[in-house]
Amino acid sequence: MKKLLETVCGLLSGAALFAIMALTFFDVGGRKLLDHSIPGSLELTELLMVVVIFASLPLVSLRGEHVVFDSFDSYLHPLVRRSQGILIHLLCSAVMLTLGFLMWKTGAQFDINGDITAQLQIAKSPFIYGMAVMCGLTGLVHLGLIVAPAPELAEGEGVAL
Amino acid sequence: MIEALVGFVAIFVLALLRMPLSFSMGLVGFVGIGLTRGWDPALASTAQVVYETGFAYTLSVIPLFILMGNFVARAGLAHELFAAAEAFVGHFRGGLAHATVAACAGFGAICGSSIATAATMGKVAYPSMKKLGYSDTLSSGVIAAGGTLGIMIPPSTIMVIYGIITETNIGKLFAAGVIPGILTALLMMAAIAYMTYKDPEQAPAGRRSTWAERWAALRGIWGVALLVVVVLGGIYGGLFTATEGAGFGAAGAFLFALARRRLTWSILTQVLVESARTTAMLFTLLIAATIFANFVNFTTMPGDLKDWITHLSLSPVMLITAMMLVYIVLGTVMEELTMVLLTIPLFFPIVTSLGFDPVWFGVLIVMIVQIGLISPPVGMNMFVLNALLPNVGLSKIYKGCWPFVLVMAFVLGLLIAFPQISLWLPSLMN
Repeated sequence: MKKLLETVCGLLSGAALFAIMALTFFDVGGRKLLDHSIPGSLELTELLMVVVIFASLPLVSLRGEHVVFDSFDSYLHPLVRRSQGILIHLLCSAVMLTLGFLMWKTGAQFDINGDITAQLQIAKSPFIYGMAVMCGLTGLVHLGLIVAPAPELAEGEGVAL
Repeated sequence: MIEALVGFVAIFVLALLRMPLSFSMGLVGFVGIGLTRGWDPALASTAQVVYETGFAYTLSVIPLFILMGNFVARAGLAHELFAAAEAFVGHFRGGLAHATVAACAGFGAICGSSIATAATMGKVAYPSMKKLGYSDTLSSGVIAAGGTLGIMIPPSTIMVIYGIITETNIGKLFAAGVIPGILTALLMMAAIAYMTYKDPEQAPAGRRSTWAERWAALRGIWGVALLVVVVLGGIYGGLFTATEGAGFGAAGAFLFALARRRLTWSILTQVLVESARTTAMLFTLLIAATIFANFVNFTTMPGDLKDWITHLSLSPVMLITAMMLVYIVLGTVMEELTMVLLTIPLFFPIVTSLGFDPVWFGVLIVMIVQIGLISPPVGMNMFVLNALLPNVGLSKIYKGCWPFVLVMAFVLGLLIAFPQISLWLPSLMN
């Protein structure tokens, strides 16, 4: 189950990121050198960004890579840490499931309005439904983390600064 | 005012309970808007923030710069940079320490992450210094401190984030970081020269390279030079926007790694997925910080703070100095990204209302983050080195970092006193 999630989400987000890179490269290169840009590249980048961000969101939670204050961890009794973990994951899960529900409703709204991108006329609602599904999945991941907590991260893994 | 204060306290309580910061900020912001404005507006504005942050072309600059840094780290360009610097200064006392700082500065020009710079240079420079008999204290301090040049010398992840949340021009921020970054590197080298003069034992001189070896070493860094010239030159010269430059840079770094046969399928997917995860982590923070800032802006807090500060009748420079002192103290114990995201919604309006340049304040923030990353007890660069060099130990790394914390605090003072250090270069851009 975990493996499947890692493979599917990893492939989706990794491929989308590579596509953004290639798209920007050829679009800019084409525009500056050959005076010919890729039509709708801006819109495609926007849609792909949604995939990059939301498809990798369950993985960030799964690996416990969110920024947390962990300076006090070593001073806490393991039992306190355990119950703290359960409480926090329940809360996180509630947040993400609610957000998933909210984005699903937003997606339905886009569906009704028939919102499409300006140039390539791609429907936006599937992407918003996708956001909703990934938020929901992230919520489920947090529920799963109550049973099987994320392993300790190697120092510096997943940090951005 | 009270509502916003309660909000801040709530975030701290949740964060201390170990709730991820993005969840704490988002939840508190959402509940705050719900209680003060009603739940329907809260739901609507949250959905809008999530949607707008997701579908944003300009924000693709974030994953692209992260990707570029990760490809560059895998391409093995750090070896060549260090070898070139060593060829020129290796025969001086403390030469390898100087070379490390120079190589970090060079690496910083293609990588926007302090931690990646420290980790990459740690693997390259530490073994050489160890072999020559350098003290662990000096070598680990130099690598940790040199690594922070990664975020001052453009490109820089933290500058991009600051630029996005304050709507400041990212290209100008990048330009503003160049001189402060070089200045910091030079002053670090001066500190190394002084320390090794006082205690020559800790950093023996190496072999002098011949000029033929030096030219050969210089030829090894053409790849780095090309990337810097195309990406940063393109952004400063107005040929690219920051986003386009990032895309070009990421693709360039990918081609380099490919040409040098450093990429297997598994490494490629690892780099891509790792960059995507870092992106998702940053975007949850951005989304949450926006939701929270929306709440704070609904309250009277920003106005009240401005009134209070006018009442204090401090001189603006005194005020900035006081702000920076607060930051330095916070930075010793807090994670720096958190610190910046939590405080910018409050401090930024004050800074601009006092008539200061947002670009200048951005450079100060980056300097603060640099200091925070190497000021004990909590600093990511030190922890990363500790994980990378388990035989050294945190206490030696702490000890090695202190002199450089002082150097950077001095640079911060210079940047406050002489804004032109940061603002001269961006003023040349139109």
